[in-house]
Amino acid sequence: MIVRIVGWILALLPEAERSQIRDEALSVVRQRATEPRAGPRRAMFAGGEMWGALRLVAGAHIDRWNGTTTRGEARMIETTRQDVRFAWRTLRRNPGFALSAIGVLALGIGANAAIFTAANAFFFSPLPFEDSGRLVTVFETNPDFGWEDATAAPANLLDWREEVGAFADVSGYSEFTSQITTFQADGPVVVGGSMVLGNFFDVLGVAPVMGRGFTMDETWQGNGDVVVISHALWLDYFGADPDVVGKTIEFNGGPQEVVGVMPQGFHFPTADTQLWFTNRWDPAARTQVWFRRAHIVRAFARLEPEVSHETAQAQLEVVMDRLEEAYPGTNTRMGAGIMPMRDFLVRGVRTQILVLLGAVGLLLVLACANVANLMLVRANDRTREIALRRAIGAGRGRIVRQLLVESALIAGVGSVLGLVLGSAGVRLLTASQPLGIEGATALALDGRVLAFTAAIGLSAGLFFGIVPAIRLTSDDVDPTLRDGGRGNSGGRGGLRTVRALVATEIALALVLTLGAGLMIRTFAEMRSVDPGFSPEGLVAVQFTVPSTRYQNRDEVLAFYNEMIESLEARPGIVSAGTVGQLPLAGTSWSSQLKADTWGPDRVGYEVLHRRADADYFETVETPLLRGRLFDGRDGPEDPLVIVINEAAAEQYFPGEDPVGQRVAYDREPTPESNWYEIIGIVGNQHQESPKVEPRAEVFENRDQDWGRSSWVVVRGGGEVDGLVPQIREVLGEMDSMIPIARTRVLRDVWRTSMAREEFLLQLLSVFGAVALALASVGVYGVTAQAARRRTQEIGIRMALGAAKEDVVRMMIRQGAAVVAVGLVVGVALTMLTTTALASVLDPMLFGVRPTDPATLVTVVALLSGLAVLASYLPARRAAVVDPVSSLRAE
Amino acid sequence: MTPLTPLTFDILLALADEDRHGYGIIKEIEDRSRADAAPSTGAMYLALKRMQGEGLLELSDRVDPADARRRYYRLTEMGRIHAELESRRLESLVVAARSKRLLTEGAG
Repeated sequence: MIVRIVGWILALLPEAERSQIRDEALSVVRQRATEPRAGPRRAMFAGGEMWGALRLVAGAHIDRWNGTTTRGEARMIETTRQDVRFAWRTLRRNPGFALSAIGVLALGIGANAAIFTAANAFFFSPLPFEDSGRLVTVFETNPDFGWEDATAAPANLLDWREEVGAFADVSGYSEFTSQITTFQADGPVVVGGSMVLGNFFDVLGVAPVMGRGFTMDETWQGNGDVVVISHALWLDYFGADPDVVGKTIEFNGGPQEVVGVMPQGFHFPTADTQLWFTNRWDPAARTQVWFRRAHIVRAFARLEPEVSHETAQAQLEVVMDRLEEAYPGTNTRMGAGIMPMRDFLVRGVRTQILVLLGAVGLLLVLACANVANLMLVRANDRTREIALRRAIGAGRGRIVRQLLVESALIAGVGSVLGLVLGSAGVRLLTASQPLGIEGATALALDGRVLAFTAAIGLSAGLFFGIVPAIRLTSDDVDPTLRDGGRGNSGGRGGLRTVRALVATEIALALVLTLGAGLMIRTFAEMRSVDPGFSPEGLVAVQFTVPSTRYQNRDEVLAFYNEMIESLEARPGIVSAGTVGQLPLAGTSWSSQLKADTWGPDRVGYEVLHRRADADYFETVETPLLRGRLFDGRDGPEDPLVIVINEAAAEQYFPGEDPVGQRVAYDREPTPESNWYEIIGIVGNQHQESPKVEPRAEVFENRDQDWGRSSWVVVRGGGEVDGLVPQIREVLGEMDSMIPIARTRVLRDVWRTSMAREEFLLQLLSVFGAVALALASVGVYGVTAQAARRRTQEIGIRMALGAAKEDVVRMMIRQGAAVVAVGLVVGVALTMLTTTALASVLDPMLFGVRPTDPATLVTVVALLSGLAVLASYLPARRAAVVDPVSSLRAE
Repeated sequence: MTPLTPLTFDILLALADEDRHGYGIIKEIEDRSRADAAPSTGAMYLALKRMQGEGLLELSDRVDPADARRRYYRLTEMGRIHAELESRRLESLVVAARSKRLLTEGAG
């Protein structure tokens, strides 16, 4: 870290020195950084190295100027040097002020640097693909199904490839990472695999570092079982074997030939992708209905050079119209659209980042107002000094400059410190949530982040420097000097500026705290939603029954049954069941639905599918509402049966009894369609998040629609701690070569489904707390200053018989007026921007509106309380002043 | 002659017995004094650069086989003279301190 920061600083060296000194000095820093140092020593070392690097850069520039400058320039440089040296001395004389100003500023700048780093990764860093501006995501739309950016049906995608002239080529990938099991000598290994079309790497424009990518022919079955592996897998699994191309890796029941190795860091489309394989569709599928019905491919295209998005969109629509006519069974009302690939990939986090950027922006303004305040208060103490300097002939310009150099120095040190805080913040951020476009970009403090930080640091310095500078120099010289040298008032004007700043702080703190308050409400609402199952005490393990040793259906089903029995025989385990996908963890496939009694126009547009057994519902405690669950009557050879959820019953069978009805998963059933009898209705489980309403869902019977990969969900008596080892033990006893892909504690799954909101809540709470603290300090400052200014007056009042309480009340009233103005402005601001606020915040909120009155009232009350407290302290101090001594102080 | 800055003198001293690269100079200063008395890398390179400009030291032709980027520095004749003069000045200061009983023989 320190090496990197010093590297950036040294990049500022004059051209001539850069190549020479930078590398050499950096190698020394690198070496020194590896020496062992205890914590505080480390920090001292890091600080020293940064400061040293800054001195080196400044020194090198000064030397160069000295060598090449004209006399005029030299004088200017000399004046600047004097200013800087003077400013440095001034600040050192008053370290309390300097440290608090720098600290507050570093906090504001650090927060901005951290959030901007995230924004940078999402919005600005180029996707790591060739000419990525020409890449667009192509999605399908259908108003009947409520689809806005759906995955494509393979047959449609292949038609776009041929018919849309604006597309140079179209490719696609599966959005789900497959857990692929392969075997090494010491047991099974599970890696993430992505299924892609053969032209995937070509369209992205990323070449393998070894071997080759896929060919389009390899999209189809019968053209060889080939895979491309990631750089990491090449290292871990093949031990960086230089002759890896042509070797095989065993999975899917057969050897797969490695044809290429991708560059280091390439993981698209998901962060855990270690291996790519092709769809291997049966060529006969081209003419089958499912090929146009199953929306399974996330499609993307590379536009021809110089072709606009509008042209491409228009051509795409023409093709979709033709397809709708040609294939009414699958393409009725099916449309398609494109958007830049980056926009598509960041769509999920856009709001979050925008909200955070807004929040840290406000925080920075608040920090600046705070520092400006500190400077004003200090400036008032220096009125006399400055008046004196002006009286003996210093020009106004020179004094303003001197003051600006001081604020620039504070801003400069604050920015460097802010950058350090920011990079620490980034590390915290990434520890709690992966940031960056998954599989494509990662967080990095790059030149853009540096430039951003420098820019905000500079503007901050100007912002809080210029106000006091103007205020201090605008007064006439004489009155201040004649003022008896009290030098503590700064006049009414000064106080007015301070009050305006504090009111601004209150208004900003209100907005920030309100944001935090809304997220707290949202999170509480989400937590109170019943997810449709009881996550406490549940763990789940995903495993695969390998085809190498369990060849057919009966062997696989026998394995499942034996496993459930062995698990339930364990003393610590209450019950166990299997399911294809956990609740609150996303959805897998969906289809249309039609009952045999329905007329031609009636169709269930979309139901989700999951495979489960009866034990699953009992284990997770999802209630059976009607009918029955799967039992002995529903064996592999018996008539097909399903259980549906309440949402499906209400949505597609309103006012009738679904139990006993027969359905097929087609819009227009054909003689080949499978018919399923609905035997029961279970309660809804939230599939995606507590925020998203449960969707209509069908549960297939594990014994009939069987598969090799499954989750086993286990409920223990109490604690979940010992459960996973027990499951591993049971699986191990049955077969030591059973690969376990993932393990989950269901409570964590539940928490993770709210992770985004929790993350935003945590950050906004921190920002809100900082804002409250800063605003309180502001109120404290303004009251304290007013108290000081009025010491004499207070003395007189008390001498004339005013009680302490009266004085305290008077002072608080004065502070309260400022706070009230701030609150009114803050509330007005929130109200005025309601629409804008709502459009940004709404997607993040749940169960509460952006203008929620209860939250607003709470926040206002909280701020008022804090403000009264903050003004009470200095007010009380003012009131205990001995009247005699305060009068004598004159 | 004006007194040398402590850092300049430290660097001259470090190069008195053999040519060293940047890291070597820092290590030598560290070994001789307390670890936290060593200069920051930046401060040292600024000093090295200026001392080269003043003719107190120059690049040596010695090459580190492990890392070609490491350049070695060596004292020039002028550097050696300055180091010697500074040592004498310090020595005279120590003698003066002894004569005024600030230091007793063998201690400190």
